[in-house]
Amino acid sequence: MLELKDLHAEVEGEGIEILKGVNLTVTKGEIHAIMGPNGSGKSTLAKVVAGHPEYEVTKGDILFNGESILELDPDERAHAGVFLAFQYPVEVPGVTNNTLLRESYNTIAASRGREEMDPLEFDDYIREKLDLVQMNPDFLERSVNAGFSGGEKKRNEIFQMAVLQPTLSLLDETDSGLDIDALKIVSNGINKLHGDDDAVVLITHYQRLLNYIVPDQVHVMIGGRIVKTGGKELALELEERGYDWLESLATVNGEAK
Amino acid sequence: MALPERIEPSMMHELATQVPDSRNTLWPEIREKGLKVLRSNSFPSKKIEEWKFIDLKPVSRTEFVHIENAGTLPAIDIEKYFLPESDRSRLVFINGRYHEKYSSIGGLGKGVTVGNLADFSKDKHVEEYLNKLVNYDGDVFTAYNSYMFEDGAFIHLEKEAKAEAPIQILNLYTDSTKAFIANPRMLVVAEEDSDVTIIEDHIGLGENRYMTIPVSEVKVKQRAHIHHVRIQRDSIDAFHFSRPIAYVEKDSEYHSYTITLGGRITRNEPRVIQEAEEVDFTLDGLVLIDGDQVADTHSVMDHRFSFAESHQLHKVVVNGKAHSIFNGKIFVRRDAQKIDSFQENRNLLLSRDGLVNTKPQLEIFADDVLCSHGATIGQLDPEEVFYLQSRGMTEEKAKEVLTYAFALETIENVKVESVHKLLIKEVYRYTKANSLPKVMA
Repeated sequence: MLELKDLHAEVEGEGIEILKGVNLTVTKGEIHAIMGPNGSGKSTLAKVVAGHPEYEVTKGDILFNGESILELDPDERAHAGVFLAFQYPVEVPGVTNNTLLRESYNTIAASRGREEMDPLEFDDYIREKLDLVQMNPDFLERSVNAGFSGGEKKRNEIFQMAVLQPTLSLLDETDSGLDIDALKIVSNGINKLHGDDDAVVLITHYQRLLNYIVPDQVHVMIGGRIVKTGGKELALELEERGYDWLESLATVNGEAK
Repeated sequence: MALPERIEPSMMHELATQVPDSRNTLWPEIREKGLKVLRSNSFPSKKIEEWKFIDLKPVSRTEFVHIENAGTLPAIDIEKYFLPESDRSRLVFINGRYHEKYSSIGGLGKGVTVGNLADFSKDKHVEEYLNKLVNYDGDVFTAYNSYMFEDGAFIHLEKEAKAEAPIQILNLYTDSTKAFIANPRMLVVAEEDSDVTIIEDHIGLGENRYMTIPVSEVKVKQRAHIHHVRIQRDSIDAFHFSRPIAYVEKDSEYHSYTITLGGRITRNEPRVIQEAEEVDFTLDGLVLIDGDQVADTHSVMDHRFSFAESHQLHKVVVNGKAHSIFNGKIFVRRDAQKIDSFQENRNLLLSRDGLVNTKPQLEIFADDVLCSHGATIGQLDPEEVFYLQSRGMTEEKAKEVLTYAFALETIENVKVESVHKLLIKEVYRYTKANSLPKVMA
C-alpha cells in the first residue's frame, strides 16, 4: 500500500535535510508504529507523505498503491485515501465540524466514485460515528477545534478519520496529551476502524499506546532514518532501554547522524 | 432657477451655493452653519495628517451634477431588500429622498415615533438635537450634508419604550448616467430605559458613480439600549463618506456594527462620546474589499467619565489592489478612571498588491485604566490551509473557508436573524468571488 524508497526531504528553501533516506513498506491490513526520540524526523515523515508544502522531497519516492504520489497536492492525496491525524490540530473558528466533514466527505466521495450525501443523510451517517469516540452530538455544531481541550482535539482527529474512511492513516502522536481514559477511547476507536483493507501508521514517543493498539511492526527512527525494525516486543525493549543503544546505528558510512 | 450643469467637489462651498433651490428650507440655521464651514474649509488632501493615506483624486476629478440632471433610472424591484422582521418598521430613502410609498411604520408599538425628519421639523426633539450632536470640526462632507439634506430618518423612543421590531433604514441609490450626490440624514433619540435595534442599509442599485454622505446623530439616554447595524453595499464606483456619531449617557449601551462591502472609496468616521459614568459601547467593523476599492475607517471612542467598557474589533480582508486604512482613536480623559477598553484591528491580506495602513491611537490621561489594543496584518496561515487540504479540500476551497471563518467573527453579534443570514451570504459571496491567489512562500 505504502512504499517509501530512499526518501530524502528538507525544509523548502532552507537546505536542511530532515529525512535522510527512509525505506518503509506498509502492506494492507497492517499496523506499523514509528518510534524515536524528539527531532528524529517522525512527524516530518508523516507530513511529507501527506504532502505538506513546507517540505521538499529531494530524492527517492513515495509510492501509494504502486504509484508515485510525489506530484499530488495534499487534497489529491486525501482523495486517494491518505489521512493525517495532526499532532497539533488546527482551529478553524466559524466553520462547524459538521460543515467541514460534509464538505470533506463529499469531495473525497466524488473523487473516489462514491455517492455524495445530502445534509440529512450525512447527519445520520455522522451521528453513528460519534459513538466511536464517545463524543456528544453538540460537538458537531461547534467550530472545528476552536476552544477544544488537547484531548478533544485528538479525539476529533480520530472522529474525522472515522467519517472520511481513509485507506492509509498516519496518526502523528495522537496519544500525546491524552489521559488514560481518553487514550482508551481513542485506541478503541482506531482498533474498530482498522480492517483488512486499510493500514495504520502510528507515530509515537511512548510505548503505552501500543498496549492498546498492537502493531505488526515497530520501526525506530533516529537522525532521519529508520535504524531498526522489529515486532511489537521492540517497543517494550525501547521502553526499558531508551534509544541510546541504537544511536550508533544512525551513523552510516561514516556520515554524522 | 436653473440648476448648475457641473459641480466641482474640490470647491464644495461653490457647489453648495450653486444650488440655492435645495428644498431644504426647513432649517435655515443648519444650512447657514454648513455653508460657513464650506466657505472656510477646503476639500481634504493628503497634506492633512488625517487624510494622508487616502487618495481623493477620483472624487475631486469627478463631475457631479445636481440629482435632477443626473439621469437617474427608476428604482425597481426593491422589495427584495426589505427585511422580513421590519415589515412594518421601515423607512425607504432613494438617493437621500424619502419615499413614503415604500415605507411602512405601523408596527413599532407604543412610544416609538418613526418618520421623515422633514415631517417632524417642529418636533421638540428634532428642534433640540438636530445638528446639535454632529461634531466633525471643519469637515466639508458633514457641512455639505447639513447644507443640502432635505429628508432624513427620525426615530424617537419615549421613556421605557421598546421597539417591537428592528427598524430598517433603507437607503437606495439608483443607477444614473451622471454622477450625483446624496445626503442621507438620521436622528435617533432614545429616552431613558428605551430599547431599539436599527438596521441602516446603503445599497447601490447600479454600478454607477455617485457620492453619498450619510450623517447620523444618535442620543442614548440613561439606561437606554441601541443596537445599530450599518451595512454599506454601495455601487462599486460609488464614494461613501459616513459620519455616525453617538452620545451615551449613564448606564446606557450603544453597540454598533459596520459592514463595508461596496464603494470605490469609503471614508467612515464613527464616533462615540461618553456623557456620564457606567456605559458600555461597541464599535465593531468588518471590511471586505477587492479590486481597486479603498476603505478608510477613522474612529473615535471618547471616554470622558469613569466606568466605561468599550469594544472595537475591526476586521479587514483585502484582495486585489484594494487598500484599507484604519485609524482608531481612543481617548481617556483625565478624570475617566476604571475604563476597560478593547481595540483590535486584524487585517487579512490575500494578495500581493493589496495595501493596509493601520494606526491604533491611544491618548490616555487617566491612570487607572485597562486599554488593550493591537493591530495585525497577516496572510492565511499555511498550516491551516494544509490542514483543510489534508481533509480533501482544494487549496482554493481551503482558503475560501479560512477567509470566511476570519470574517465571520465580527458579524456573530448581529442579532436580527435575517440580517445575520444576509451578512453570512455576503461574506460567502466575497470569499467565493475571489479567485484567491496561491499562498505566498
